[in-house]
Amino acid sequence: MKIHQPYGLEDCLTLLSELPPDATVILAGGTDLMPRYEQGRILPNNLINIKHLTELQGITETENGIEIGGLTTIEALQHSDLIRQEYPALWRSTAQFAGVQIRNRATLAGNIANASPAGDTLPSLYLYHAKLKLVSRHASRTTRLEDFLVGPGQTTQEPGELIQSIILPKVSGSSCFYKLGLRDAMAISVVNYALRYSNAEDGELTDLEITAGAVAPTIVFLDALTTAILGGETNIAAWQALIEQDIAPIDDIRASADYRRKVLGRLISHHLQRLGVGSHE
Amino acid sequence: MAQIKFKVNGKSTSVRVDPDTPLLWVLRDHLQLTGTKYSCGMGICGCCTVHLDGKATRSCITPVSAVAGKAVTTIEGLGKEGLHPLQKAWIDDDVPQCGYCQPGQIMTAAELLAEHPNPTDEEIDTAMDGALCRCGTYQRIRNAIHKAAKEL
Repeated sequence: MKIHQPYGLEDCLTLLSELPPDATVILAGGTDLMPRYEQGRILPNNLINIKHLTELQGITETENGIEIGGLTTIEALQHSDLIRQEYPALWRSTAQFAGVQIRNRATLAGNIANASPAGDTLPSLYLYHAKLKLVSRHASRTTRLEDFLVGPGQTTQEPGELIQSIILPKVSGSSCFYKLGLRDAMAISVVNYALRYSNAEDGELTDLEITAGAVAPTIVFLDALTTAILGGETNIAAWQALIEQDIAPIDDIRASADYRRKVLGRLISHHLQRLGVGSHE
Repeated sequence: MAQIKFKVNGKSTSVRVDPDTPLLWVLRDHLQLTGTKYSCGMGICGCCTVHLDGKATRSCITPVSAVAGKAVTTIEGLGKEGLHPLQKAWIDDDVPQCGYCQPGQIMTAAELLAEHPNPTDEEIDTAMDGALCRCGTYQRIRNAIHKAAKEL
């Protein structure tokens, strides 16, 4: 195996276009790739180390929101006042992301490209309707994150393409992220969700969106639930069935599908009750 | 094989290894710096924590090629003149039980103190949650970090 160290983005894209796509893997923080490599689960002929490419790091405020360089670390997001104030769900997900040694190396684009159903930043990025800017040697394109992730470990990334940045539009209302793990530290999510809402002056909900992770092959929007609630459905028992319409959890080493269905329903119901919606009647 | 140059504990060094070798094995097997421990090998437990340009990093999942031109600090080089205040506090309070995870605990705590010279309990818990101790010495670790913070 050969590790390539491109001098800059252009050099990197040239390498990506010339090396055989089936035998080439991009190495960013390596926090997920290296354990898989050490276990012999991935044996590429070529690794392209991109971690040092400064062009792909940093958070920039734009006219319509923000643009986050793909190689921005989770810890850098955690230290950003802009993320904390304007995108609190994303900020919260970075706070609950693994441990500091991982956050110092893991990158936002890496968490996306990894396409784990339980990826901690993904529900928040979906909630904020993130777009990805992808570049290759002779082209670039922008795609919605929800069109990019198609299944566990599967994306629509084309050979030769690299995630250059993540674009988040300006958001209104309040938002937050919640993760349920089997312990507080270093846990992979059993379920997680992100939620955004706006209130009218009289307190009535005028806008509600919820995304959930680790309950389907990719992140899902709980549209059946949120549409019903905005339409006046207040019965908590009815909510559970509406949530189950949009999810398809599996049994794995962390939890059963049944537990995931129930616990996601309970967590979201409690959350909405704290916002003043819902009753048991 | 590749020749890779980087700094370890302030000194320039150069090793000839496969570029995908985890930094941990370069430190332990090539440079005989055995203070850094191998435990899970999967970036979960924190035993192998070193500093990479001052940032706490897991050496078991960092390929040595990603370290070229950078500065690595291990537990052996943490104290600039004698022991680091954290190491002194660790000894004063008898923090370790079996001791295996403690180099990683101390390296993780050292980054915390570099960023927050006087951390709260909550800041300690947040910073240290990626360093697992099977003996459960967490209370003593927290006390020793507070003690070292007063010395710094």
